[in-house]
Amino acid sequence: MADEETLGPLPAGRHGFSREQVAHNQRERLIAALATAVAEKGYRAVTITDITQQARVSRRVFYENFESKEECFLAAFEVVVGHIRELAAEAALPADDWSHRALAAAAAVLRFFAEEPDLAKLCLVESQAAGPAVAARFHETVGAAAPYLEQGRAERPEGRDLPPTTEDSTLGALVLLASRKVAAGEAEQLEEVLPDFAEFILAPYLGVEAAAGIARSQAA
Amino acid sequence: MRALPGKASRQPPGPEPVSRAASAEDQRRRILEATAGLVAEQGYAETTIEQIVRRARVGYATFYKHYEDKQEAFLALMDAAVERTAYVVEEAYDREDGPWADKVGAGLGALLKVAAEHPGVARACLVEAPTAGPEAAARHEAALKRFAPLLQPGRELNPRADKLPESLEETLAGGVLWVINQRLIAGEAEKLRALLPEALEFLLRPYVGEDAAAREAGGAGAASA
Repeated sequence: MADEETLGPLPAGRHGFSREQVAHNQRERLIAALATAVAEKGYRAVTITDITQQARVSRRVFYENFESKEECFLAAFEVVVGHIRELAAEAALPADDWSHRALAAAAAVLRFFAEEPDLAKLCLVESQAAGPAVAARFHETVGAAAPYLEQGRAERPEGRDLPPTTEDSTLGALVLLASRKVAAGEAEQLEEVLPDFAEFILAPYLGVEAAAGIARSQAA
Repeated sequence: MRALPGKASRQPPGPEPVSRAASAEDQRRRILEATAGLVAEQGYAETTIEQIVRRARVGYATFYKHYEDKQEAFLALMDAAVERTAYVVEEAYDREDGPWADKVGAGLGALLKVAAEHPGVARACLVEAPTAGPEAAARHEAALKRFAPLLQPGRELNPRADKLPESLEETLAGGVLWVINQRLIAGEAEKLRALLPEALEFLLRPYVGEDAAAREAGGAGAASA
């Protein structure tokens, strides 16, 4: 079996792992198996059997860890999102002002998805297609980025306040830009949308002109 | 639920309706309304034909006379809702004879009104459509594209029009739909119409800059209040 090297089963019998370690390992294998199966067939078509066969565990083990395919999907989604959050935070750290932090974080997210097209599909396309509970979680997760954009409000000249939904509309636009590219099978080229991302992210805070200038320098 | 074709019927279920044609149309309307309500409440995957026929108060035979399966009924629902919504939005846009920004405000106002009045249909077609398979997802995508030509004339107002992103119009529409979806997911359809000024500002900003967009949005907010 080709996948034995990457996701091989634990050897049968005495393997020296504690019960907790085995359980943890099984859960991780199930999550990885779901990600593989979803990339191959799409969430709707994936069965519990696909997942357990890929993970080489029994159905009983699946149901000890997850109540349903949906719960397993949500667990996978959370793992990837947690990783992306770390990448974005790390990338933003060295930048010394808000606009560069925001763009560095956006670039890191796009780069990750470009390098991991299967996970890009899971996070950006399948999560919108996997039913109401997952769609709600997807919306929440994207919305959690709003406070980071909101910091850009401090860059604005005194005067008028931006409308409260500015950040959500911006994030919705970014999600659409990125998820369309992934749905079109062009996840590997996701970094091409960075200049458009930059313009959308910066325009409300720095003004349309300045944002376009920075966006062009990103493209160069 | 006038988001769907066919006149509203107050006929109680049961005895033979007056004419066969009216009855077939009424049956389809009831089936699609039931489909929208169920999909909005519990999602597409959880919705069964059994639930649809029960809520629509039609028999299985009637359902299968009109639609081959759940998917076909759902796609018919989407087609009807998209047609109806596009018609209402385009009509409001055309009827407004002020400048382009006013036209966009009129179209957006009409869109928010339709969604607020038919939250079940809106939720089924906007939030749940991507869960209903590739054909439904393709219709969702096509619906998004229909709004692009209404925003396109804004490029003429922008001195660096040639540098605007190619997909700007669809991306902006996506941003507005995202916020609409948020309200629908939260069950706050009654708050949709109040989004008009801010959503309008978001749509106009890339074309005319913040000051002009905010002025226009302020006017639209006052007019809709």
